Amino acid sequence: MTSYQTVDATRKSYLPMSKFKARIPAAFIVKCLSVLAFIGLWYVATRYRWVSPIFLPSPLAVFQEARFLVQDGDLWRSVLESSKRVFSGFALAALVSIPLGILMATWWPAKAALDPFVSLLRPLPSITWIPLTILWLGIGEGQKTAIVFMGTWIYILIYTYESTKRVDPLLIMAARNLGARRLAIMRVVLMAALPGIISGLKITLAIAWSCVITAEMIAAQVGLGAIIWRAKDGGNLGLVLVGMLGISITVLIADFLADRLEKVLLPWERGRR
Amino acid sequence: MTAILTAENVTKTYPIRAGADITAISNLSLEVNEGEFVCIVGASGCGKSTLLNMFAGFVQPTRGVVKLRGAPITDIEPRCGMMFQQYALFPWKTLIKNVEFGLEMKGVARKERRERAQHFIDLVQLSGFENRYPYELSGGMQQRASLARLLAVDPEVLLMDEPFAALDAMTRQVLQEELLQIQERSHKTILFITHNLDEALVLADRVVVLSSRPGRVKAVIDNDLPRPRRASVQLSKEYSDLKAKVWAEVEDEVTKHAQSDMLAPAM
Repeated sequence: MTSYQTVDATRKSYLPMSKFKARIPAAFIVKCLSVLAFIGLWYVATRYRWVSPIFLPSPLAVFQEARFLVQDGDLWRSVLESSKRVFSGFALAALVSIPLGILMATWWPAKAALDPFVSLLRPLPSITWIPLTILWLGIGEGQKTAIVFMGTWIYILIYTYESTKRVDPLLIMAARNLGARRLAIMRVVLMAALPGIISGLKITLAIAWSCVITAEMIAAQVGLGAIIWRAKDGGNLGLVLVGMLGISITVLIADFLADRLEKVLLPWERGRR
Repeated sequence: MTAILTAENVTKTYPIRAGADITAISNLSLEVNEGEFVCIVGASGCGKSTLLNMFAGFVQPTRGVVKLRGAPITDIEPRCGMMFQQYALFPWKTLIKNVEFGLEMKGVARKERRERAQHFIDLVQLSGFENRYPYELSGGMQQRASLARLLAVDPEVLLMDEPFAALDAMTRQVLQEELLQIQERSHKTILFITHNLDEALVLADRVVVLSSRPGRVKAVIDNDLPRPRRASVQLSKEYSDLKAKVWAEVEDEVTKHAQSDMLAPAM
């Protein structure tokens, strides 16, 4: 995950370690060797039948499946479909929850009115919404979007609320002292809370992905989750593994893009990471 | 001389828990004259910041009244500009945008805003850093930026809450001298809080010693050290005599405060 690399202190130049790292990216070499050793062990284990192919297909078989999936365009279609579902549900949740979170943090009656619902809905995993959403929305795109929405809006709300609550009161005092009135003060609050809101969105994005995969495994024709479920029904373990790997890589790329976007949106935060 | 700031028999109590109040300031009266540089010294917890916050309109006195030019201060008072110890710059704005903020609030047009902001950035010697974010500036530079932001809105009074306390001794001295020069030229009224006697004696026309909690005026000492003043004034005989006089007033309070600390936790 990218998130733990950001706290990797060895990247800071004042540590003697970084001098060494600049010449030879030692950690990178170890990472590659580790992956290669794992694949090698896996190959040997299947090649000499230490494990039956019924339980674990060989890496070559998995590679074959991956090639088929890429060649007939199924993979791209699935990635695209899943991404669309994640994006629509996630965007909808952000649109609802960010204003609501700020409102709850700045106006107590809103918090009091919504608190019971937040408390009751928070413990529910998004998968528990599948029966109701299918009943209300069928098994089309709307239902997938709804599952992503139900699985993410509460987290975005909580992150927004907490970030807004934690805005340094000194900044608000300074703004008022410099003549800021209601609207300008709200802008100060929003800007001060923005880094926290965006890091909340990044964490929630990963949750959105797990929601969409769950939804697709239950009821979908296309999508990364559907690939896995179809492959399981067909007894194709290689394809199951390819689907899982596809999910991992897609989510990693989404994380990476979100990181990039964050840096563009918050240029003043660069000094803090 | 006319008083620009007045506190008349001001008391401020805060509730700490149900049924228990803490008195930060008790029956305090103070006058600050136009163009005067007044330093308030006192042990920690003597209500220095509370007093400043009342003049800025952030808190209201429980009893008594604070006034600006004879009119009670009942709401945020932008004519009393505040400078904070922790700089309080907006981290998402570049230096020049920070300095422009107050002007923007006043509705000053963009071009004039730029020019005035630039003028004050030059004044605090930050030219060349206009487009840097606060995190790219050192502590001393951030405090300069904060001063420029304050001066840009041209407040009638500067309220300064230990503005140099977080800085190292050398940076602090440089900024003290710059503040002296700015004050000599602009004749702004300044009410400055510090717990550093040297700082008070270098800067002030009058030093007000507050008693430890609850805060009230314990002594007012006129500082006749010659102006224009520089940090080197600290080497003179008059300076050390004056410092001894102020310290005699402060010493009691510091001891008392240390004793009361053992009985009640500091706020």
